[in-house]
Amino acid sequence: MSDKLTDMRFIRFLLYEVYNVEELTQYPYHADHSRETFDMAIDAAYQLAREVFWPNYQEFDRNGAQFDGQHVQAPKGMHEIWRHCKEGGWFAPNISFDDGGQQFPMSIFAVTSFLFSCGNTSAAMYVNGTWGAAMLIDKFGSEALKAMYMRKLYAGDWAGTMALTEPDAGTSLGDIKATARKAPDGDYYLISGVKRFISSGDHDLTENIIHPVLARIEGAPAGVKGISLFLVPKFRVNDDGSPGEYNDVATAGIEHKMGLKGQATATLNFGEKGDCRGWLIGEANKGLPYMFELMNRARVFTGIQAVSGASVAYQWALQYARERLQSRDVTCRDVNSPQIPIINHPDVRTMLLKQKAFIEGALGMVLYCAKLADRMANSSDPEECENLNLILEVMTPCCKAHLSNASVESIIQALQCFGGAGYCEEFPVAQLLRDNKVFSIYEGANGIQAMDLLGRKVAMQAGAAVRALMMEIGATLAEAEALPALQDLAQKVQEVQNEVIETTMTLGAVGMSGQIQEYICNATAYLELFSQMLMGWQHLKHAIAAQRALDSETGEAPFYRGKIETARFYANTVLPHAVATARMLKANEYTALHYAEECF
Amino acid sequence: MKVAVLMKRVPDTASVFAVAADGKSVETGGLKYVMSPYDEHAVEEAIRLKEQAGAEVIVLSAGPPETKETLRSALAMGADAAMLVTGAENAGPRGLAKALAAALKRMAPDLVIAGKQAVDDDASQVPERVAELLGIPHASVITRFALSGSVATVDREIEGGSYTLEVPLPALFTTQKGINTPRYPTLPNIMKAKKKEITEVGVAELGLGAGDLAAGMAIESVSLPRQTRLKKIIEGEPAEKVRELVRVLRETEKIL
Repeated sequence: MSDKLTDMRFIRFLLYEVYNVEELTQYPYHADHSRETFDMAIDAAYQLAREVFWPNYQEFDRNGAQFDGQHVQAPKGMHEIWRHCKEGGWFAPNISFDDGGQQFPMSIFAVTSFLFSCGNTSAAMYVNGTWGAAMLIDKFGSEALKAMYMRKLYAGDWAGTMALTEPDAGTSLGDIKATARKAPDGDYYLISGVKRFISSGDHDLTENIIHPVLARIEGAPAGVKGISLFLVPKFRVNDDGSPGEYNDVATAGIEHKMGLKGQATATLNFGEKGDCRGWLIGEANKGLPYMFELMNRARVFTGIQAVSGASVAYQWALQYARERLQSRDVTCRDVNSPQIPIINHPDVRTMLLKQKAFIEGALGMVLYCAKLADRMANSSDPEECENLNLILEVMTPCCKAHLSNASVESIIQALQCFGGAGYCEEFPVAQLLRDNKVFSIYEGANGIQAMDLLGRKVAMQAGAAVRALMMEIGATLAEAEALPALQDLAQKVQEVQNEVIETTMTLGAVGMSGQIQEYICNATAYLELFSQMLMGWQHLKHAIAAQRALDSETGEAPFYRGKIETARFYANTVLPHAVATARMLKANEYTALHYAEECF
Repeated sequence: MKVAVLMKRVPDTASVFAVAADGKSVETGGLKYVMSPYDEHAVEEAIRLKEQAGAEVIVLSAGPPETKETLRSALAMGADAAMLVTGAENAGPRGLAKALAAALKRMAPDLVIAGKQAVDDDASQVPERVAELLGIPHASVITRFALSGSVATVDREIEGGSYTLEVPLPALFTTQKGINTPRYPTLPNIMKAKKKEITEVGVAELGLGAGDLAAGMAIESVSLPRQTRLKKIIEGEPAEKVRELVRVLRETEKIL
């Protein structure tokens, strides 16, 4: 049926008409690029997504990763996907030419990752995880570690993971127990401990797997300040760069999950035999800050993954709604008249537009963040960098949490469009729903993201991040005000912006008074309110670009009118909920906090 | 050895098509353009020849300036250079063939490869006309190509079988699906493609006038395929139903 995974026209609209990513080519790092190389890269990624990733999607669910008691086999089709990614240079699009990359901006990398994730999220995770491990070594590792491991990861010769979670330390990373003891006779540490839920933790795709592992050096301070980051290979590396002796990293098993069954999510035992060697990355006791620098980026990527599932589900629902004939127009009394495609029923149409509005606003959010990261990476003005960083900091938990909450809602709408057929497995929508749920859980559960937003990001530097963001939103509002056709939209976004400001001040007073639990207890609702403002703002940006295109009569009027109407739909149907949430937040609603345990 | 590949930029067949207001053309706004899929096979075959025998691969197209983007995709697959003939956009198969043949005369390739047809108008005329204009032999719809010295051995697909032909070079061949699997563009090759040359040459420079480029035909109207599904329900016992179904598929629908 649908071989469309997403709307590429919309992605081009975002890249070139809303965010003007072409301007990034004026930075020396991207000087070899042009719109042509950007287009070719995203076209190539979409082709791979459709022709290589997607044909394996349902098969990964039926015959996922396998564990035989010792070794893990990746799903069969993953070998071909890996080969294409390796040949294509897809492990290092944004990395420097010197390190084997092609110096693409993050904005383009975000799109190509999104497309692979549309094609097959489990598969894309093997690739992204490897890039992430390499980035950690790149940013914080010694020259020796870089020479031995980094290039191999960027080339896709070896695979990588991130090993943080333990059976008793998931959210609470400060409680991790894995230990590292300095070897008396070498430059390495002996690692011991169990790591759980490790994505791509073990498989047969590559001859070696490199695990960045969080562990505590013996005698290190308790809590988050005593955690260090180690590089632990599955096989130690010989002087000539080839994999050598087995490094005592044993696979205890893989998880039997609700979704993402193609992903080999492993439990790994480090040092069962007391001979697992790890090399310190960067300085001792700085593991968590290092990891979080990457995690922040990973959280935006989790948002990207979440939207990708919603995008595919929407494309399938849209096509089904256009083809499925059922019932007649509500005003039609002629039982002999032919049945009509269900897209003509108002409720189905509303469900489709809900999905479209979510996906387009969400893609706007993540690409906006990617462009912030690009500008930060290239700007030589420290003040500008700090400003961009503040905005990125405050948007990151919203990208992660709001998008992964709303993506599940969006896929539920897609499934509903299919009626009973959606509940069956022959269409991929049920799988898309199962696969999507984990994004609200991993990379920092959404409740943690909400506390990060309200407890840390909003409060940081006396509210500087929120102020910087509000300035940006204000600039967009001013642009929209100048376009008569968009004034009603701008007013609705501004109303929510005002609600966010008031709510933040009300909650801030609660926090300042020392009522920390009261301050934080509705953090999730606050994140929802805050994110809906961001989504409304992004839609307004799209509407501005679309209105300008309409005014200059460049053609494609239905496309541009669609953008404006989508923004209007979001403003009219979602933003009133934001206003209601703000009312609740300002009313000191603490029922759940004070609800006695024995009353449950 | 110099290998020329003929390539056409066509709308992606996955696009939503509409007939333009004049009723004689297709609405082009918002269409996404790609290399005609049969031409991808031609490019792939030429690049394989380059990898095996060290040929120089030049991709040639006639079309609007945007065709350069599509030529760039062929360069990203591994072609060495590209040439775009401008000014023959509305020429139709006859005029297009003249423009391409004129460019090929200058290029003097040992071998020309093209897709068996372009998926926009499905005319299947241009490569054969080009071969005639150049006065070289051609073999169409090939599913295998092997080169020994200056003689190519190719398999041609026919209904229910195949021909094997020996063709002396220079010659022109058109590729059918199944001859190879076109490679995906890689990021390193995309960056290399950017530095490769695309030469532009106008029809006047090739010595062609309006008369040469005349289409020789006029399009009366364009219409979309009929959307209705024709339903036929076969009644009877299971064995009879199967017999009737096979008969319909074989004789009426000619699918088997």
